[in-house]
Amino acid sequence: MRRCLVVDDSRVVRRVASRIIEDLDFKVEEAADGAEALTLCRNAMPDAVLLDWNMPVMNGIDFLRALRLEEEGNKPIVVFCSTENDSDHIAEAVRSGANEFIIKPFDADIIESKFAEAGLL
Amino acid sequence: MLESSFEMLAALAQRETGQDLTPSKAYLVDARLANLVRREGFASTDDLVSCLKARPNPVFEAEIAAALLARTTWFFRERDALERIVRDVLPARLKATKSGRLKIWIAGGGTGQEAYSLALRLVELSGDSGLSGARIDLLSTDISRRMTEQARDGIFGHYDVQRGLSIHRLMTHFQRLETGSWRISEALRNAVSFRVQNLLDDAAVLGQFDVIFCRHVLSDMASATRVAVADRLAAQLNPDGVLMLGHGETLSGTTTAVTPSRVVRGGWQRPEAIARTVAA
Repeated sequence: MRRCLVVDDSRVVRRVASRIIEDLDFKVEEAADGAEALTLCRNAMPDAVLLDWNMPVMNGIDFLRALRLEEEGNKPIVVFCSTENDSDHIAEAVRSGANEFIIKPFDADIIESKFAEAGLL
Repeated sequence: MLESSFEMLAALAQRETGQDLTPSKAYLVDARLANLVRREGFASTDDLVSCLKARPNPVFEAEIAAALLARTTWFFRERDALERIVRDVLPARLKATKSGRLKIWIAGGGTGQEAYSLALRLVELSGDSGLSGARIDLLSTDISRRMTEQARDGIFGHYDVQRGLSIHRLMTHFQRLETGSWRISEALRNAVSFRVQNLLDDAAVLGQFDVIFCRHVLSDMASATRVAVADRLAAQLNPDGVLMLGHGETLSGTTTAVTPSRVVRGGWQRPEAIARTVAA
């Protein structure tokens, strides 16, 4: 079974996203910030990462840049998931190695659609 | 909702769109009309019906019929079918026509996602040799004036632009508005014509088409209406034109006007076109 890491500092968002992604046949792990996520990735690279932008300790963009420098760090497909919705932020995420971008709020249809666009389904 | 209200709405639906609303679906009616009832300031569905009885209004009746269908769509829906048309059918038609001009009709195009997806894909493929020099007219029609205007404005909400569109396509072809909605580019808006048209009415005025998309529209109709509309669509096909229905939809055994295409999977063509393909 493929694995997806859900990274968000809100427990509620993590729970909602995890449930949706489990329905898409992924085994889901959760992390509350970028640093925690990076530790999990170093342990075992997931197939997909759903990534929030604004988080304490290490934010999403710093995590993503660090991830892409890791060995096998290009393997996970990263779907950003943020309330940031202006083109500058989105472009920065894509430049930093994001494969797709979800603008919050999201629902199951959006996650499924974006996972499909990113080639995960 | 009163039984008499349901009967009146069911008759309206039958007349306007050929939709078969059986009494077992009465519970759907209130839900499907809720937005419209609120928007237009009625107290309830019964209130709407009594106003309509007192003052009939054909434009409003069409809006009610469209709301009762509760159709939904998204960008690049059933994209494999779009891709077959754009990659295989259009280049072949282009070669055959010589005029360099092709016409596509999206019948029951609602808020325009289908037409805009085609327009967007055609822009992406404009450098492709198979379609170079082509002038492709896209016409999207719908019974609802409101949806047609919305489609023409090309403004889509947060959820609509995140269903079926990659972030790359969103950033390339849309602009974010202050309201949080997104507007599709002027170039793509100019690439599609939108017009109000009831599929139960004569379509000769629209001309002949190389491809007609009518996806997930016929299945809402009572079977006699479905056949009449299919025959009407077939009459607007160029001799070698292709009618595309939605995934899982079929006209087999209901009409002789079209039969399954041998050229494109999921497509339907006039029998004489099939005969020519076989002969060739």
